[in-house]
Amino acid sequence: MKIKQRNGLDFVIVKLTNSIENTSTKEVFDTVIVKLAITDIKQLKKVDWRFNWHKELKDKSKNVYKLTTLNNPSIIQGLISLEDKTDHIFMHLIESAKFNIGKSKVYYGVPGNLVAHACKFSMDMGYHGFLAFDAKSALIKHYIQSLDATHFRGLRMFIETKAAIKLISQYFKT
Amino acid sequence: MGLIKEPVNVDFSTKSEPWTDKELSDFRKIMDTIKAKNAVIKKRKITRTKKELQH
Repeated sequence: MKIKQRNGLDFVIVKLTNSIENTSTKEVFDTVIVKLAITDIKQLKKVDWRFNWHKELKDKSKNVYKLTTLNNPSIIQGLISLEDKTDHIFMHLIESAKFNIGKSKVYYGVPGNLVAHACKFSMDMGYHGFLAFDAKSALIKHYIQSLDATHFRGLRMFIETKAAIKLISQYFKT
Repeated sequence: MGLIKEPVNVDFSTKSEPWTDKELSDFRKIMDTIKAKNAVIKKRKITRTKKELQH
């Protein structure tokens, strides 16, 4: 794991090992998570994304991160928007790039990478890895199975310490 | 451990709505319970390790 830091816990670049897998070739790639600033808004073309990431970037209470492969930092594989709630991290949005959606997706593992990063962020902030979010009803069982997430009520879910440690250890090799 | 692969026909994406004060309050109670439980487990592990080192 290599982390470059700026201003304490304000992560700029986080490298993850063996993170995403090409669905055709089964080749596995290391990835990089980079925090986006408002000046990076041009990197996010509205037509490429379902959610309004420009709005997220402009919201000062939120931190937006992009996931790219280590060797190709210009192609964004996925995005996540997080908010520091002072005792846990709240995941507002998570989205894979269009080419990582559907049966013909290029890479497996993009959301897992991003969620692991969110848990790491929570852990580093001293929030014991707690991450809260909403899930579409059809995805609740998948989040439980793949991320060890806990179903709270309705569409509300969270990831607690043990599940966070498990996720972090999968991607952040020391 | 391998990477987390979402099923082929499933795409993970989330758009969360703000949680109500009641939901946040209840969630914080759950967090406190889990933190307290984990602290006890951690304390037991430390005590056990110390005992093992003494012998």
